[in-house]
Amino acid sequence: MASSRESRFSLPPQILRLVLLTIAIVAVYLVARYFLTPPSFGQFGFYRGDVLQELASLEPVYAGKKACEECHSEQYQQVAQAEHKSVSCEACHGSGQAHAEDPDVKMAILGFSRCVRCHEENPSRPKWHKQINSRTHYTGEKCTECHLPHQPNEVP
Amino acid sequence: MKPPLTRRRVLGKLGAALAGLMTLPVARTVKAAVQKLRVAPGAAKGYDPTQHRWVMAIDVNRCIGCGLCAEACKKENRVPEGPNYFRTWIERYIITQPKPGSAVARGEVLVDSPNGGMNGFPEPPVKRESIQHSFFVPKLCNLCAHSPCAQVCPVGATFDAPDGAVLVDPKYCIGCGFCIQACPYGCRFFNPYTRTADKCSLCYHRITRGLRPACVEVCPTEARLFGDLKNPVADEALQKFYAENRVQALKPHLGTEPRVVYAGLDKEVS
Repeated sequence: MASSRESRFSLPPQILRLVLLTIAIVAVYLVARYFLTPPSFGQFGFYRGDVLQELASLEPVYAGKKACEECHSEQYQQVAQAEHKSVSCEACHGSGQAHAEDPDVKMAILGFSRCVRCHEENPSRPKWHKQINSRTHYTGEKCTECHLPHQPNEVP
Repeated sequence: MKPPLTRRRVLGKLGAALAGLMTLPVARTVKAAVQKLRVAPGAAKGYDPTQHRWVMAIDVNRCIGCGLCAEACKKENRVPEGPNYFRTWIERYIITQPKPGSAVARGEVLVDSPNGGMNGFPEPPVKRESIQHSFFVPKLCNLCAHSPCAQVCPVGATFDAPDGAVLVDPKYCIGCGFCIQACPYGCRFFNPYTRTADKCSLCYHRITRGLRPACVEVCPTEARLFGDLKNPVADEALQKFYAENRVQALKPHLGTEPRVVYAGLDKEVS
């Protein structure tokens, strides 16, 4: 200490302690950060890279129409050539992943509500889309008596 | 006795500091090598997020407001029931006739989305004769290239994935809600069950399996198109969409550069 007292730039001891304390705190932070940051953090950017796999691990509920085609290729072909070709199977039949995995799980039975969901007349719907007023359009009859859902232009 | 502070000593110390800085890259490489050993594969198996750039194109003229997309989204992503929780929803725009002699081209703009359009749309709230123009607009996360939600996240829980999806890390999210306020499109909500911010994940579990997002899968009129800009085989439907339409994004003045693009938008849509 004698030498430092003689030098022109001696640090007061309380400042020295503060500096050492600061360095110690920063060092503890850096060590904690090194060990606690998940390894995948920063893999793609400022986030945990592992989360991509975690988010991708959710199981689908809708199987996609390719899965339907595997067993129901006949119906798939019918629809693909008719007016409803842009409509995927699960749009009307509902989610089908459970049925695709186990055919014993039955799909929902469809009815009138599925047809009018898209085809009920509404002034906000675009004019190119075919619409009916279900209160005046052949009330009491089933839609399928006149229209085949898979080939809507054909008459049964 | 300590030597006095001379120019030589100061220069020497500066040189030593510089040499110390030079060793930093070496230390960084060593650390990177160590980290690499500890890193688990981040993306799903067989899926490389850097090899895709997803986009969604929505043709407003083709949307019939059936609400199948909103319904399928809830089911697919286990989104909570209730009218406030939607990852995608449909808005109905009704523009009324202007009052005669009012010297305006368009009347009032009415926007509604009863239960997100999930159960379809009831009769319009105004008389049919007074409607000048009406249409449906599907909404979802706009997949901004410069996403405000990711910028404001204080914990790095929301981020832009390399494939263009804007995702939330539910383990990192602290539920502060900054992102919900930051999103200019109102596409985020607070999930009361997970207590985290929730949003469209672009059906990340589906697109990594080669399936289309649920909303695109069930859309009966192909109003929603989904594609990959990095796909070497150009997506025909998407190419056609860009070629045949005047394509725009929502709120372009904000500079968010959405990757969800629309055709047939009116200026009233925001």
